[in-house]
Formats: sequence, structure tokens, C-alpha cells
Amino acid sequence: MRGTVRLQDLYERYHQRVQFMMIYIREAHPTDGWWMGGGITGFALDKLVPQASTSIRDPRTLAERRAAAGQCETALSYGIRTWVDDVDDAVNKAYAAWPTRLYLVGVDGRVVYHGGLGPFGFTPKALGKAIEALG
Amino acid sequence: MSQTIHDRKQGRSWQNEHDAKAPRVGDLAPDFELMDVTGEHRARLSQYRDDKPVALVFGSFT
Repeated sequence: MRGTVRLQDLYERYHQRVQFMMIYIREAHPTDGWWMGGGITGFALDKLVPQASTSIRDPRTLAERRAAAGQCETALSYGIRTWVDDVDDAVNKAYAAWPTRLYLVGVDGRVVYHGGLGPFGFTPKALGKAIEALG
Repeated sequence: MSQTIHDRKQGRSWQNEHDAKAPRVGDLAPDFELMDVTGEHRARLSQYRDDKPVALVFGSFT
């Protein structure tokens, strides 16, 4: 996922006052979909985002998605527990989250920050500012 | 099951369709209950209400 290093920084800095939830959703670039593992794009992806995988098929079942999520959680290992959206993509759709997105929900259950559409709207720095603004 | 997205055009179409209904600042965040990667632990967004703010980080391995 784009920006994961800085996301880890946020987690390390704020995890005692903010609950972080990683929600594993539909694959962004699976081997049987919009794959980016080949050619110059694959080479660039490997250099720029080495923590991303280019060898996962889009899961058909919740068990398959859990398996992919487990690989991701192990590979990134930045301490945030991963919760897995079902293959009906209900949570993904409710938050328009694909391929990546950030939200901050206040203690009253209302949205206090929503990131732009991913991948370019995925900006952990903006999430950090929103957390700071909570006081 | 939803369909796999095969290209930029499909991806943009999906985003536009669902972003129009996504929560904005001040809206109540849609509640959900999900299991972890083991299928043994369960969490609900609303369990943190009146306790802690929640950062939701959506993404995948690819």
C-alpha cells in the first residue's frame, strides 16, 4: 500500500490515543485483473513500492481474501491488526475505499477526515494533521 | 460477489459510483463488523464510540 512507511510512523506516534484499523479490501492490481507486475511498470513498482505484491489473484472467497490479507499483514508488519472485508465488498463500497483510502472517525462516530480517492489521495500526512486537530 | 477491476476506466467508474454515496466530514460513519485474518476475532467500528477516535486504513497487498 502506498505510503505505508509514514503510516507506520503515525501508528507508532498515535496508537495510544487513536484506534487504528486496517481494512483489507478488494485487490488493486491482481494477476487476473488490472495487473501491473509486467514490463517497465512492474519494474518501477518493484523499485518504488517494494512492499506491494504483484502475484496475487483476486480472491473469490472470504477464505482466499483472509489468506492474502494474512500475507500482507505479515509482510508489512507494522502492528496494525488487519480486518477483512467480505467478498461482497460491503465495507469497501460503503466507504468508496478501493484501491486505498484513509478516514478518521471521531469518538461521536462521525467522520472528521476522509482522504481523497486512492492512490493519489492516500496521504498519511493529512491524516496526521487531522489527528492533531482532535486536540 | 463484486467483479474484478480490469483497467483504469473500470476503476474510475467504480470510484465515481461509490464515492457519491461515501460519508463526508460530519456524517455518521457507516458501522461494520469484520473478522481478522484468522477468522477468530471480530471487531465492530461502533465499539469504539465514546472511547477513542478510529483511523480507518483501507487497502490491499497489490
